[in-house]
Order: sequence, then C-alpha cells, then structure tokens
Amino acid sequence: MKLRVIQQRSLWWAISLAIIVSGIIGMLISLQQLGTPLRPSLDFVGGTRLQLELDCSQADNCDEPIDAAEVREVLSEQGLGNSSIQIIEQYGLSIRTSNLEPDQRAELRSALEAQIGKFDPQATQIDSVGPTIGRQLFRSGLLSLLLSFVGITVYLTVRFQLDYAIFAIVALFHDVLITVGIFAILGLTLGVEVDSLFIVALLTIVGFSVNDTVVIYDRIRETIQLNPHRHINDIVDDAVNQTLTRSINTTLTVLLTLFAIFLFGGETLKYFALALIIGFTMGAYSSIFIASTLLALWRERSGQAISAPAMEPADAASADEV
Amino acid sequence: MLTIAAIGIITQIPARLGLDLQGGSQLTLQVKTTEAVPEITPQKLESVQQVVENRINGLGVSEAVVQTAGQDQLLVQLPGVSDPEEAERVLGGTAQLDFRQQRSGTEAQLTAEYRVLQEALAEREALQTSGDTAKLRENQAAIERSQQAIAALFDKTGLTGDKLRDAQAQPFSGSAWQVIIVFDSEGAEQFAELTKNVAGTGRALGIFLDNELLSAPLVDAKDAATGITGGRASITGGFDTQSASELAVQLQGGALPVPVEVVENRTVGATLGRDSIERSIYAGLAGLALVLIFMAVYYRLPGIIADIALVIYALLTFAIFNLLGVTLTLPGIAGFILSIGMAVDANVLIFERTREELRAGKTLYRSVEAGFYRAFSSILDSNVTSLIACAALFWLGAGLVKGFALTLALGVGVSMFTALTCSRTLLLVALSFPSLRKPHFYCPNLSTSRKTQPEATT
Repeated sequence: MKLRVIQQRSLWWAISLAIIVSGIIGMLISLQQLGTPLRPSLDFVGGTRLQLELDCSQADNCDEPIDAAEVREVLSEQGLGNSSIQIIEQYGLSIRTSNLEPDQRAELRSALEAQIGKFDPQATQIDSVGPTIGRQLFRSGLLSLLLSFVGITVYLTVRFQLDYAIFAIVALFHDVLITVGIFAILGLTLGVEVDSLFIVALLTIVGFSVNDTVVIYDRIRETIQLNPHRHINDIVDDAVNQTLTRSINTTLTVLLTLFAIFLFGGETLKYFALALIIGFTMGAYSSIFIASTLLALWRERSGQAISAPAMEPADAASADEV
Repeated sequence: MLTIAAIGIITQIPARLGLDLQGGSQLTLQVKTTEAVPEITPQKLESVQQVVENRINGLGVSEAVVQTAGQDQLLVQLPGVSDPEEAERVLGGTAQLDFRQQRSGTEAQLTAEYRVLQEALAEREALQTSGDTAKLRENQAAIERSQQAIAALFDKTGLTGDKLRDAQAQPFSGSAWQVIIVFDSEGAEQFAELTKNVAGTGRALGIFLDNELLSAPLVDAKDAATGITGGRASITGGFDTQSASELAVQLQGGALPVPVEVVENRTVGATLGRDSIERSIYAGLAGLALVLIFMAVYYRLPGIIADIALVIYALLTFAIFNLLGVTLTLPGIAGFILSIGMAVDANVLIFERTREELRAGKTLYRSVEAGFYRAFSSILDSNVTSLIACAALFWLGAGLVKGFALTLALGVGVSMFTALTCSRTLLLVALSFPSLRKPHFYCPNLSTSRKTQPEATT
C-alpha cells in the first residue's frame, strides 16, 4: 500500500478543517454560555471543591444512598445555593462552591454530617484555590506553552531550515487547536472541565507530536541530499511512506499506555489521558498529512521544487552504498 | 550490572510519595505587603517562613515541610493531615500581640463602645447559623468600626508579643480557657511599669491581638506601688479549648512580620491516596504489558530484545527516581507510564530502518549497524523536542506539574540511553548465535525473490 499524500492533500486538509471548525464552533457556543471558550475548573477561576465519602464501616451510616436534594437543601441553608453537587457511587459526594474560608468549610461539613451521616476523614479530598492563584496558574500555563513553541521553532530552525520549522509549528497548532476544540465540545456536552493537568497535556502533545514531523523531515532532508534533482512532491511522498509504519507504530505504543491510564488510572488522570490520546492521534495525522504536504506546496510555490544541485557531495558519497 | 544495581536500589530505598498519594495537605500561603512593608524581600520571606515553621511545629504535625515558592509564596506540606482547618487558622493570623494603656478620661466611652462590640459579636453568632450573607457583611463592618473606635481609646506602650518567652493554654473556669503568657526580662519590666500606671485608676490595660481588643482588664489598687511583677499574665477573652491552644501556638511561634493568606489548599485523604497508588500500578502494568506484546508480535526477535531493554529501562528509571529522591505524584506516575510508551520510539525507529536496509538487500549485520547509525539523528531530534517541552513545564509549572515534567524528562533521557546501548548490545549478542541469524526473525515477508544470502557474507 502506498499513500499518495500529495495528490489527495485537499482531502486531508478538508478533514482537518472540518474538525477544527467544529471545535471553534464549540468554543464560540461555550464562550456565549459560560463566558469562556472552555469550561474552566477551579484551578483557574478559584473556588472550593469538597469530596466526601460516607464512612460505611460505621453501623447504620450507609443505609441509603446520598440524596442530592438533601445536600442541596443544606447548601442553601448555608447560603451556597448555586453550588454544583455530584453524587459519586451512591455514598460519595463532590461539592463545588465559591472559595470558602476554613471556618465556613468546617461549618458546611458539620451541617452535612448532621443531615446525611458521618464522613470518612481518610477519604476526603479538599481543593481550595483563591482567585488570584487561579489566574497565576493560568498565566504560567499559557506562558510555558508559548515558550515551548518558541523553543521548538528555534531548535528546528537550527537543525533544519526555517520553512521546515514553520510548518512543524503549523502542524502543532493544528494538534493543539483540535484537542482544545474537542474539549470545548466535551465541556458543553458532558461538563468536562479543563484544569492545570490539561495544560500539561497540551505541552506534552507539543513535545511529542513534533517527533513524527521531525522524523519525516529528517527523511525528506536525507532524500534531498541524495537526489537533489527529484521533485519535492515525489520526495515527500516517498518520505511519508517510508516512515509511515514507524509513525503509526510509535504513536500506537504510546496510545496503548495512554489507554491503560484512561481505563485504570482513576478519575484524576482520565481526562488527562483522553487529551493526550486526542492530541497524539492528531499529531501523527498532522505529521503525515499536513506538515509534509504544506512543506511540499510551499517549496513548489516558492520555486524550490527541485533542490539546488550544488549539495555537499560528501554527504551523498557517504550514504552511497546501496 | 546496572539492572542488578537498579533492583537493589528499588528494594533498598523506598519511593518518596507525594501528598496526593500518601495522603496529606498542601497549603500555599501568599505573603502580603502592607503600607509599612511595601516589598517582600528575601529576608522578609525567610522570617515569615521561620514563624510559619514554628507554628507548624507547635501544631505537632510530623515531617511537615515549609518551602518558599517564588518571591512571595510559601508552600506548606502536612503529611497525614486530612482536614487542615486548624493549620489554616493558625497560619492565617499575624498574631501581633500588643499591650496598650487606656487614655485618661475615656472610661465611660470604653464601657459604651465595649457594649456595642459585644452586641455586634452576639449578632454575628446568630447570623452565622442563618447564613444571610448580606446581613453578615453589614455586621462585619459594624464590628470593624467598633474595634477601631475602641483602639482609638488606647495608647501603645511598646510591649508586644515578641517579648514573650512562653505561652500556654490552660483551663480557666467552667468551659472557658485562658492563655498564660510569660514575659522575658525586658517584657516583665515593661509589664510591671504598665500595670503600675493603670492600677487603681479605673483605666484598663488593653490586650490587643492584630489590632482587635481581646480583653481590657483593670488592675487592682494594691498593685499601684510596684505594678504586677514576676512577668506572668493571663489573657482571658471568651476562649474555648481550641481557640486558646491555637492562640498559644501562634504566640509561641512569634508574630508574622506581614500578613499571610492561605490561597490554595490541596488535601487528599490517605484512603484516596492508596486507591490512586493501586490504580496507577494497574495502569502501569497494563500499559507495559500491552507495549511488550505489541513489540514482540510486530518486530519478532528484535521486538523481544526491545522488550528486555524496555523492562531494564523501567527498572532503571524507577531506581533513578528513588536514588535522586524524586517525589512521586499522581501526574508524575502518569509521566512515567507515558514514558514507557515513548521509550520504544527509539527502538521502533532503529528496527524500521534495519528492515528497510534488509529489504534493500544488505546483509543482516550491516543492516542492523546501519539501522542504529542512521536512526540516530531522528532519535536525537525527537527526544530534544520532548525535552524542550518538559523544560518549559518544569521551569514555569507549579508543584504537581513539575513532578510530571521531571519524571517524563528523566524517562526520555534514560530511554535514549537504553535504546542506544542495551538494545544494541543485546542485538549484537543475538547476532553472534548462528541459530538466531535468520533474516525472517528480523523482518517477516522479506521478499524471497532476492537472491542475497546474508549468512554467507558475514
């Protein structure tokens, strides 16, 4: 099987464009409904989340599952009526409120215990983030994302050429944009929130996805040096096909571990793994179909379709052992 | 050799678990500037850290860690604490204890203002159970106004909480508690002087905590000659057991030079932490198993060799974590599991290249060599880009994020090493056995139409 990436490039671009556009629509709808393009967790906007679990080792404590209406009532009494409540596996409870002082938190907890039953202190989780630190987390997250983009551009410019680097970055933007877009849609439909781990996921996607692009570029460069007189389209087609199994296999092995985390890793890591799964899949896709075809198009349009014949002959000679 | 050493290290040095895995509480304290202290200098931050450490020790939390974070933040880690409420309260207040002297001619005013304050405080009690936030805010403003009015009736004397030698909570009467304080020698003198001045005059001695009046005792006329000597005093003021011991801890630890605020609280119960560990072990093993199977099935003999290298990689990396004392957090473990999937990347690159060379008709040995040689630049490039992203994360990220960046970066580094050394050595060893020197072990479907006989040419 041989992929004709160059011939079918309008098809690949259309697929990407369709996903990106639907993601952007998702972000716009979300912007209108929530005021932000993605549903932010308390990491970024501040607030308190209390996760409690009834202590079922005590007699008569877990007679009946927690009733959300009862919890809502207690919250309203405390003046926290607009908090969100989630029942976890019948006896667990997750409440997200505005940022609570320790005293308010203690009061809420004892009020809940009076109404519902004794909670197990060892199974409690508290996340409380002030609004200023939320902004700080968000800022540093964005900054590190930007920084890694710059770092990768500089590195690729040094190792390859500027046009390679630019299209690698375009492919990265593509991966990140699609991941963000899909999470905007997930936020609207399933209420999935993005937290600081999501930014970590984006950064990891940036670091990993560029790998596939680099490997293909590496092959393109090698072929250009060996055959400076071939047309760029042929070279790109060949390079993509020669590295195709490798691109698919390395992405596959990583996806295997990610699916393991997604399935067994627990609640905290679930959406982190999902973001990586989406990003890495898109990373492989964009390397094969987007970065390479864009490079070919650019070289063709800018009159560099056939590389200058004056390539260093030493390189050609050393590799000439077939 | 390294593998044995790695296993030794893993069994000997236990892994350091983050609070999200062992259970515990992590608080971020924001150090705030005031008019008097417009800038948080490193010295200032250090003195705040000292006070915070003292107070944490006073709470009796074992193995607590206080670190500075950035220019104006402190990170407090309290292992095993499942509700840090007490710690949050004790760390929150500046605990500036101040003994003041009432101005003459304000006796009637003080009585009136004091009554207003008591009423407002009683009202707050009632409002807190009703949960009417608007009224509570109004009440809070009233209390503050009243506190300010009272503070205006007193003069500072210079006798403050830094002249204390000790502070202890003790039962007072009924369920009420008091805090017994012991002054140092200078403080004792000042206290005697102060009590002498107000004794028998009807004017009160004001004990203020953070500019709020705690109590305003009168001093008996019999002390008018010498004042209260001996340097001991008690503070009463509506304390219960808890609030009295909290104040004692604060006073012992010293006053904070600037106010701090708990801006972040991440607490995980021990049971939840254990669940997370269990789940990550399952996820890690499942991920590893899937990758091992995939490699062996797809790449045959080299795949099995890569598998051995991968297991060595996993052991080695884990040993390095323990050796360097890397604190494992949940995202950190995720980074490690992820790096298992990435670690085979180098091997895949090499084996694909080897296959290509084989298909091009080269001998087996030369194909393997060329595979390693030619794949190197791709391996280097792809790992460097991963490391760039890790560096950005590590440099700018906060606690949890840092753990992930560190484990992933270490994993990437070690994986390059194992791919280039372990896999290579093992593969060359395998090639030395004639029975393993069959090209179809390395590349299935190698076209039989080729006439090359790799074995014959070595």
